[in-house]
Amino acid sequence: MTSKYDLTQRIAPQLDRHLVFPLLEFLQERGMYPEEDILKAKIELLNNTNMVDYAMDIHKSLYRSEDVPQEMVERRAEVVGRLKALEEAAAPLVTFLQNPNAVQELRADQQHNLRMLNDRYQIGQEQIEALYQYAKFQFECGNYSGAADYLYQYRALCTNTERSLSALWGKLAAEILMQNWDIALDELNSLKEIIDSKSFSSPMNQVQSRIWLMHWSLFIFFNHDNGRTLIIDLFNQDKYLNAIQTNAPHLLRYLATAFIVNKRRRPQFKEFIKVIQQEQCSYKDPITEFLACVYVNYDFDGAHKKMKECEEAILNDPFLGKRVEEGNFATVPLRDEFLENARLFIFETYCRIHQRIEMSVLAEKLNLNYEEAERWIVNLIRTSKLEAKIDSKTGTIVMEPNHTNVYEQLIDHTKSLSGRTYKLVSQLLEHAQPQTAR
Amino acid sequence: MEFRAGNGIVAQNMFVGESDTEEEESDYDEEEESAPVETTTTTAASRYYSGNASDSDDSEGQKRVVRRVKDKRFDEMSATVDQMKNAMKINDWVSLQESFEKMNKQLGKVMRVVESDKAPNLYIKALVMLEDFLNQALANKEAKKKMSSSNAKALNSMKQKLKKNNKQYEDLINQCREKPELFEEKVEDEQEPEDEDEDEDEDEDDDFDEDVQTLESEESKDEEETAAESGSGWEKMLSKKDKMMDKQFKDPSQITWDTVNKKFKEIVAARGRKGTGKIELVEQLTFLTRVAKTPAQKLEILFSVVSAQFDVNPSLSGHMPINVWKQCVQNLLAILDILTQYSNIVVDDMVEPDENETQKGADFDGTIRIWGNLVAFVERVDVEFFKSLQVIDPHTREYVERLRDEPMFSVLAQDVQEYLERIGDYKGASKVALKRVELIYYKPQEVYDAMRKLAEQDNQGREVESGEGIKAVEENRAPTSFVATPELVPRKPTFPENSRTLMDILVSLIYKYGDERTKARAMLCDIYHHAILDEFSTSRDLLLMSHLQDSIQHMDISTQILFNRAMAQLGLCSFRVGLFAEGHSCLSELYSAGRVKELLAQGVSQSRYHEKTPEQERLERRRMMPYHMHINLELLEAVHLICAMLLEVPNMAANVHDAKRKVISKTFRRLLEVSERQTFTGPPETVRDHVMAATRALRQGDFEKAFDVIKSLDIWRLLRNKDNVLEMLKAKIKEEALRTYLFTFSSSYESISLDHLSKMFDLSDSQTHSIASKMMINDELHASWDQPTSCIVFREVEHTRLQALAFQLTEKLSVLAETNERAIEARIGGGGLEGLPLRRKDGQDYAATGGGRWQEFSFSQSRQGGRGGYNAGGGRGSGSAQFTRDRTGRSGGYHGSRHQDGPGRMHQTGSTVRGGQVDGLTMKKSFTPSSSKSSHPINTVNNEGMHCNCGMDALLKTSWTKSNPGRRFWACSRYGQNGYCGHFKWADDEMCSRAKQIIPGLLAKINKLQEEIEAFQSKEGKFESEINMANIRLAMLDHEVLELKKKNRSLVLFCYVTVCVIVGVSVAFLM
Repeated sequence: MTSKYDLTQRIAPQLDRHLVFPLLEFLQERGMYPEEDILKAKIELLNNTNMVDYAMDIHKSLYRSEDVPQEMVERRAEVVGRLKALEEAAAPLVTFLQNPNAVQELRADQQHNLRMLNDRYQIGQEQIEALYQYAKFQFECGNYSGAADYLYQYRALCTNTERSLSALWGKLAAEILMQNWDIALDELNSLKEIIDSKSFSSPMNQVQSRIWLMHWSLFIFFNHDNGRTLIIDLFNQDKYLNAIQTNAPHLLRYLATAFIVNKRRRPQFKEFIKVIQQEQCSYKDPITEFLACVYVNYDFDGAHKKMKECEEAILNDPFLGKRVEEGNFATVPLRDEFLENARLFIFETYCRIHQRIEMSVLAEKLNLNYEEAERWIVNLIRTSKLEAKIDSKTGTIVMEPNHTNVYEQLIDHTKSLSGRTYKLVSQLLEHAQPQTAR
Repeated sequence: MEFRAGNGIVAQNMFVGESDTEEEESDYDEEEESAPVETTTTTAASRYYSGNASDSDDSEGQKRVVRRVKDKRFDEMSATVDQMKNAMKINDWVSLQESFEKMNKQLGKVMRVVESDKAPNLYIKALVMLEDFLNQALANKEAKKKMSSSNAKALNSMKQKLKKNNKQYEDLINQCREKPELFEEKVEDEQEPEDEDEDEDEDEDDDFDEDVQTLESEESKDEEETAAESGSGWEKMLSKKDKMMDKQFKDPSQITWDTVNKKFKEIVAARGRKGTGKIELVEQLTFLTRVAKTPAQKLEILFSVVSAQFDVNPSLSGHMPINVWKQCVQNLLAILDILTQYSNIVVDDMVEPDENETQKGADFDGTIRIWGNLVAFVERVDVEFFKSLQVIDPHTREYVERLRDEPMFSVLAQDVQEYLERIGDYKGASKVALKRVELIYYKPQEVYDAMRKLAEQDNQGREVESGEGIKAVEENRAPTSFVATPELVPRKPTFPENSRTLMDILVSLIYKYGDERTKARAMLCDIYHHAILDEFSTSRDLLLMSHLQDSIQHMDISTQILFNRAMAQLGLCSFRVGLFAEGHSCLSELYSAGRVKELLAQGVSQSRYHEKTPEQERLERRRMMPYHMHINLELLEAVHLICAMLLEVPNMAANVHDAKRKVISKTFRRLLEVSERQTFTGPPETVRDHVMAATRALRQGDFEKAFDVIKSLDIWRLLRNKDNVLEMLKAKIKEEALRTYLFTFSSSYESISLDHLSKMFDLSDSQTHSIASKMMINDELHASWDQPTSCIVFREVEHTRLQALAFQLTEKLSVLAETNERAIEARIGGGGLEGLPLRRKDGQDYAATGGGRWQEFSFSQSRQGGRGGYNAGGGRGSGSAQFTRDRTGRSGGYHGSRHQDGPGRMHQTGSTVRGGQVDGLTMKKSFTPSSSKSSHPINTVNNEGMHCNCGMDALLKTSWTKSNPGRRFWACSRYGQNGYCGHFKWADDEMCSRAKQIIPGLLAKINKLQEEIEAFQSKEGKFESEINMANIRLAMLDHEVLELKKKNRSLVLFCYVTVCVIVGVSVAFLM
């Protein structure tokens, strides 16, 4: 029932294996699915990683036994062996990199570095390649910080652009998993630049990369302080919006939420409403439906109902429903913000088409009691967000009519004309002079 | 017997290469009718037949008949000779020539009747006479000069013809000259002259080489015969062949690969020749397939059987006989059988295979290459099927019968596709897949199911039925078929349960491997099919993402028709799902020109304004859709008009004062005007009447009546789930009625209660509220809600007259300013635009300074929006990403190379396009004008381009700026001058960058050359003037010389006189 708005199934395929764990953890916490299913899913996930110990733990808790299947034990041995081998292969370079004095010798010039490594330390392409494999293996084992470090150093030495890109993805994943949001954001931006600038072999790949990028970025944006603005800046770019519309309409939920919560990106909002309207047939969820109710159908009762569903959806979303522990009780900050802003949306639109509203009705529409509603409105009026007066005798709010005067309209229309003409004349004169001179 | 036969052929081939042969050939058939003699062999014999070599079994009776005919022929000939004599008398060479040709024709007939190889004496005599006369005429040069030109021409050609002609009869003519009396008497005495025979013997010698295989000559004789007696002698030939077969193939061991191959080569060589019966050719080849020794050979022969079968169809517009078509399909299936059985045989149409490639037997390991093209065959079969459906009257049983053959084709296509996929020829497979797609795309699920059932249960029955047709052929099957092929490929089509699944499979194959055109067509079929299944959003997305609207202009006409059909179906679909605005934008273009029939290829509409040439009409007929694929035009019209009504009525109510300004549907407006002009409106009859009546009701806000009128249309029965649709329609009509009511009567109310409104229009409160709210938000309705009393309070916003005028003034002012801006931009940015060659240099200077300005200019133009429908923009998908969304894993994607630059372009237009679906669809306005162009290429491209804002006709000019060299545009006639109204529109598409680079260079070169020429010309002028000066001086000198001469003479005279005087004086002195 509660899983109705769950997007995990749609999101997971676009993520790295390791990135799915936080989602599963969240689901486990919310208890939307039977515990067993989630544990099984985890084991399934882990089967292709090298985190065998973790898998064993889960297996134990799932079947409540101390026995571990033979294959897991074998796999563990194999993983350890492989790790050893890789470590050895990468050892020269790793020791070099761990020596701070040696690292001092590295310079900005990549060619120079490579030559230097080759001449003085006998570290060639194989070792560098081994570093990459080692880092990858570390990552698969769950040692994200090690992997991140190695990948960073690998990128400094790598000459192969494909590999470098792949390393960048790995670095991003590692940073996300370590929850270093600032660094992750930097990686994200550099990755975005590469994706946008690079002439991909096929446009399909480019779109796919964008979609991956957007999915991964969800982790960052909903944890970073400035994320709510950044998500709009990223997702609302034409290229990315197109990718969303064609391949991943479920991302609209996050964009919509960001739009509702964020007050600074109003200009693009109208456009976005149109996108939502257009995509209604391919994707629906309480949040987009809420927007449709308020801005397309002007169905305020419907919007009111949707708000409740939205709350539920937000709470059950791993990205949106992030909890913040404050003392003894946890809050979901995004939910509160969302509800507040949604109310404001409804009210704004409502006021635009009414000239007199009963307070009690309004209070009910806003999910507030009478006093709260009155206080809320008074606040709005005081911050001059709303031009209205409360008629407390009849218990109504009366809107101030704000029809523009005809004369003002006329002036508006003609104001710019003189400026434009002036500019024209000067342009003409400028052009005429060289001609006469000639 | 063999001799004669061989002789017959060669003689004909050798001698018949003359000018008069063609008529003679065509005469053959006439002859058959006029003289229905049972001349099985004689007719076939040419005039070189020796009488004694003719069949001995010619009966006496036959002879008698022949004699009578003979007399007739002779009479005719002598009449011609008389005519010639007359012509000679008046020296009329033109008529003489005519008579001569006539005589030659008659000669052929005569000889055939008399069964002689020797020309009749009458003819020879005429020739002699003619020759004499000719020589005489040529000798008389004076007379020749006097002749009229046509006469002289005739004389000359006569001379040559006669010379050529007489060569054949040289001996006879000589004989005649020597003893004319012999010829006088021997009118009918056909004595074989010796010399004639010699000639023939030579031929026969030649033949001997070829006659080594008796079989062949036998066969070719048959051929010869059948050519002559295409119809009547049919059975006879067959029986004869049987006999021959018995004789030749009694002993199968005698047949070798060589014999069959030789025979085959020979038959193929005869193909396409005059007098080769097409059907017989097929028969012979079919026979050969049975005696073929190796599978490869059988295959090769089968290929030619099929192509021979295609030849049976005589004309381009006619279709192949149905039974032949069926056989053809069977043959193709047999080909597939062989190919499946022997996988080492490769069919290829690229390389010319080895002569003896087919000799390799079944046990040969390597690949055997056979020339042939399966895909082309399948396409051809499809075309023939299509044509037959076009031609057959759709209201007959025959049509239905023919339709039942469809599974037969689909099984063939399916098998071929499978085979091609197996051998890895995916390109071909995609082509065949397209044929299959085109077979099912227009079928709704019900029809598809019916077809599937028919294919399943009916197959056995049909097998027998179609088997009968073939049985006739199989009866005379040779005792042993050397290469027996089991029926390996299925003879029964397999259809998945759901038509959509089949479409998905086929279409994804095509998207993966097909070429541009195949993909486009498949895409259109896909759109059409989705639309049929009421999946509006899917098909709309496909359409928008494929950018087909932009590229469709450049495709062939049948694809454009398909596009129009898809658009029509999309319109119907959006109507069915209740998206009326979208429906209108899909259909309005189709109806704007009033030639829907033509655009959908469902009939030829007669245009009042220009006559079509028969050629055009024939072409159009060839494009017609078969009846069962038609889209019901009445339904389409009803849908279009209703959509237009729903949009236009509230729109008209909203803009009562300046109704002309915002017109949504011109067609609808026009119809409305016509119906309003009528003095009396009767009960509605046609679709239009109904919609007009509904419109009248709707304008009064009477939604019930409007709906009832529309509901009474009886075309709704053609609509799937019509109840739902009508319900939706009713809701929409209510809504629009409410809107119209509010627009029209808002000024009469101070306030109006929600209750009242919702009761009036039978809507729920929330609906009414929502509709009214929407109108308020959009500033259409100047009012606001009063929540406590739940009523609408109207505001007085009526402008006074002065205010309204002031607004108009400001609007005009801003237009003026805009125009000024544009004008100055044109001046400064691209002054050399109308670049006449002379000003070109200046233009380039401007362009150099104005540089990238053009870009801005055109861009601002496009931002100005609607003026010229300029925003031909991309859909919302980035050109590249487009197809990734295909749910069925068609991730192969249909992104043509053209669209690779999609993302870049989409940048500019993307945001606007995304602005709602309606925008998306209307933006694509340019699509149907192109399709209307399909039938008349000279049609107006876009009316908006042709008239400039000042109302005059715009001029087509050419830009010579650096950024757009040689690109034409429509612009105001005062472009670049005072009073330029700002109209500007490109007529050509943007050039490619290469052209842009090259053209300026070329222009510079031309300019340089022109300069050089000018320099030379000025130099030349200088020289000329110098020469003139010199001439003048010369003249002066001449003059001087003359003067001097004169002086000189007078001096001499003077001297003379003085001398004389002196002499005289001195003489006088002396005296």
